[in-house]
Amino acid sequence: MRISAPVKAAAQRLALPFLVLVSAVMVLFGKTDLVLYDGLRASVADRVAPVLQAVGQPVAAVTSAVQSVSNAVAINRENAQLREENARLLQWQEVARRLETENAELRALTKFEPQNTVHSLSAQVIADSGGAFARNVLINVGSQEGVARGQAALSGEGLVGRISEVGSRTARVLLLTDLNSHIPVELEDNHQHAVLDGDNSEQPRLVYLPTMVEPTVGERIVTVGAGGVFPPGLPVGVVSSVASGVIRVEPYAELSRLEVLRIVDFGLSGVLPQSAVPPPRASSRVSRSAATESLR
Amino acid sequence: MPIALQRDIGYPGRLVPFLTTLLFAFFSVVPFNLPGFAVVMPAFTLMAVFHWTVYRPDLLPLSAVFVSGLLLDLLNGTPYVGISALVFLIGRSAVMGQRKLFVNRPFAVVWLGFLALAVVVFLLLWALVSALHASFIDLRPFAFQAVLTVACYPAASYVLARAQRAFLARA
Repeated sequence: MRISAPVKAAAQRLALPFLVLVSAVMVLFGKTDLVLYDGLRASVADRVAPVLQAVGQPVAAVTSAVQSVSNAVAINRENAQLREENARLLQWQEVARRLETENAELRALTKFEPQNTVHSLSAQVIADSGGAFARNVLINVGSQEGVARGQAALSGEGLVGRISEVGSRTARVLLLTDLNSHIPVELEDNHQHAVLDGDNSEQPRLVYLPTMVEPTVGERIVTVGAGGVFPPGLPVGVVSSVASGVIRVEPYAELSRLEVLRIVDFGLSGVLPQSAVPPPRASSRVSRSAATESLR
Repeated sequence: MPIALQRDIGYPGRLVPFLTTLLFAFFSVVPFNLPGFAVVMPAFTLMAVFHWTVYRPDLLPLSAVFVSGLLLDLLNGTPYVGISALVFLIGRSAVMGQRKLFVNRPFAVVWLGFLALAVVVFLLLWALVSALHASFIDLRPFAFQAVLTVACYPAASYVLARAQRAFLARA
């Protein structure tokens, strides 16, 4: 079919304003918390997962080669470090064994019912957000494997984030550091509740802490059961700086080099309703109010 | 139209600019597992958009730029779907206006042009995200990413120029 020249010229002139308008409207739609995008993102992620894995393989080969070279250089020092750590951990193991027996005896005495059973599965990270304005990773398990919104994602060191979006074969983990991540936490020593607010920097901020509480650098931060998002006591990080009212937390998990995550279902329905699929902003509002409520 | 349409290449060749741009979008979300790298991952897609806009804008039309930006937004899971599409479109038309400055010029001039584009694009992104969040968010991650993106451009440009020579040589 031939299109007449003036029509074609007009279409070419209008293409830019039209496409700019479409993308601006799309961005604004995202602001109004439409659930549309969650489904769209999840289905795109499901479809492109094989492509991502294929593109990722050579990259992974190169980075692992780089890592093995740098490991070989550091191997002697690391060995000494590990020996030292091993000695220390053996002591801890003894302590843990003693506490375990003691715990079992006390549980028998008080007829304690253990908390609901925990299901977990491992997942491989197949993509990370890469941009300057989002902190999340895509993993290669989805609803087929039983992954659901709100479940916790852990690395060996501590909490990484939670599942924010689920496709059938992939899921997205919103990291602690994302602008839209707000996690109810507490200071381990004095059990003061607060919210860990991501701001896209590597160290999230601790907010809503009562004003008279002055955390010290090095204090441990763990999750709190408020709002039923996470079970209490998952390790999150340590206070890394307290400067002019801004408290920053260094996460235990190395968020910039996540390879394998443990996705854990603690059986908590929490603040994320099963039916409605609230986008990150809506859910953050809920967790904020839940956390502030628990502060009262 | 300032661009001479070069119709002498076959169909698969004509798709090379669009396909490499999509490939770069995938590449920019692949985990590199290097400490601190994900935070300041270079914006590979922007490099491809710039390269093809300078050398073969006829083969990377506005619609292709829009689709690439949209794919990137859906891949990187940002809540602001469409934001990359928006800034790529604006960036592309800005470059189109200045194309004459870059064609058949030394690489340093092209690189300088890319630097200007990266500054504009990342400032725009920062302003948009700040406006959507109704607060001034930290500018530093954007600045880091812009610096790394500009620093990596020669490598990307080399790859794209090789692809251009291999598939679009008869132009």
